[in-house]
Amino acid sequence: MRNPWGWIALTGFSLLFFAFIYAPLLVIIGYSFNANPVNMMIWEGFTLDWYAGLFGLSDRATGVGNRAAYIESTDQMLAALRTSLTVAVFTTTISTVIGTATAIALARYRFRGRGFYNGFLMLPMMMPDIVLGIGLLIFFVTLGMQLSLVTIIIGHCTFLTSYVFIIVQARIAGLDPALEEASADLGASEWTTLRKVLLPQLAPGIMGGALLAFVISMDDLVITYFISGVGDTTLPVFIFGMIRRGVKPEINAIATLIILASVIIAALGLWLRSRKTD
Amino acid sequence: MALRRQSVILGALLAPVTLFLGVFFVLPLLIIAVFSFLTPGLYGGVEWAFYHWNYGRIFGWADGIIELYEPIYLRILLRSLTFAALTVIVTLILCYPVAFWVSRLPDRWRLAFLFLITLPFFSSLIVRLYAWLLILKPTGLFNSVLLKLGLIGQPLEILYTPTAVVLGMVYVMIPFMFLPLYASVDNLDRAQVEASLDLGANRVQTFVKVVVPQTLPGILGGAVIVFIPSVGNFIVPDVLGGAKGLMVGNLVEQQFLSSRNWPFGSALSMIIMAVVLTVLLIAVARARKGSGNA
Repeated sequence: MRNPWGWIALTGFSLLFFAFIYAPLLVIIGYSFNANPVNMMIWEGFTLDWYAGLFGLSDRATGVGNRAAYIESTDQMLAALRTSLTVAVFTTTISTVIGTATAIALARYRFRGRGFYNGFLMLPMMMPDIVLGIGLLIFFVTLGMQLSLVTIIIGHCTFLTSYVFIIVQARIAGLDPALEEASADLGASEWTTLRKVLLPQLAPGIMGGALLAFVISMDDLVITYFISGVGDTTLPVFIFGMIRRGVKPEINAIATLIILASVIIAALGLWLRSRKTD
Repeated sequence: MALRRQSVILGALLAPVTLFLGVFFVLPLLIIAVFSFLTPGLYGGVEWAFYHWNYGRIFGWADGIIELYEPIYLRILLRSLTFAALTVIVTLILCYPVAFWVSRLPDRWRLAFLFLITLPFFSSLIVRLYAWLLILKPTGLFNSVLLKLGLIGQPLEILYTPTAVVLGMVYVMIPFMFLPLYASVDNLDRAQVEASLDLGANRVQTFVKVVVPQTLPGILGGAVIVFIPSVGNFIVPDVLGGAKGLMVGNLVEQQFLSSRNWPFGSALSMIIMAVVLTVLLIAVARARKGSGNA
């Protein structure tokens, strides 16, 4: 940069930009420890009550002071977390298998319709959530399928398969096909080459795709909102419902835990990506 | 022999995605199209009879009564397009300088800041919106600070306004604008910039004639992937928007979960889909043309 003042101004702007991104998250974390139950924006001292309350360990209640309501919502929250984890595990497994198979097919075979598949697989990612959500809702209801965990898992797989596909495809593009050619020349069957030569090299990409699928599945709100049954609320849908009913300090505590979990997962993802595997 | 084996394995690799997306992606979208032409039933059901006034209603003629022109839905649709466009413009203005800054940092810092940009992508959308709800409330942090500083006499009403909706969408869309933009900016040929400045072009000329054209793919890419989820967004206006910030996504949600007019909701979704496909086709056509010229 020829002009030092220009660089200083740019640096200032950029740091403000990062402050803008992170300040809201820090606000939630800070206020999750605020003892003031009525106006949570006015600081009234440090407390862990809201965290204790989340796990049914605190007598302190917000507003009306109804302990029974708390424990009920604690159970509901933990049930929602369980639902989210169950959905995410199944979704990740299914979409990773399908997405990886698709990526291998498109990268290693020449066939008619290859270009079509490449374009078509972008659509589930680009389709607005709400359109896919109501499409699946009408579809399941018209077929007479009960909305349940299964419908949520199906819904998540429709778009997460594409995400896994993209990540794995990027990994394949960076591979040296000579290894597979060598394997074939040395007499290994196509299936053996695929399993013993290609798949191990793809492992980091597959892990990355799976991680991304897991994170997005855990966070999906819109599609789940439309196709979850009455008893199968996921964590984001549960929090959305809580926010709609009114703001309570416990939400700050859940939110802080979620932020913490996502930082850990993101760090794990970064570590996976930076690890030298080949 | 080898060819046949190849086709068996290829079939096995492609069958799952073809079946799965065929049944659970293509069919649901086709069903929306069918439902958008069905007659809404009296008590929330549908009658399997052709009816085109679902679309008529969107454009202002409810249920075939031509005299009663009231384009309330059209207005909400235009508002959604405007909000999405504003989101694109604001994220672009915010991210462009920062992408430059990050691309010129020493390696270690650059990776650290890129990580910081992607981190919110991993954290919950609803949690991030909730943070803004806390900040923008009349008794929230923003107003408290301004009141304390004596800059305002009474709390500003930001929550439940269009400003809050656009702010919320900008906030959640920043990583989607930043990453394609950064990829473009990072590839910028600095020698050309230097040459332009050495040959006497001023900074503005250099920016307009050299920098912008070279980073155009990133700008357009970012614009498309920010615009598309913004148009149909209903979570942001639901949490931060109130009645004045209502978008077409909220309308669709209402038709399905409270008004129970599924055909009308389907017609609205078809419009969202049409907007998205139009934007995508334009983007693809431009990208093709761009690579053809290069």
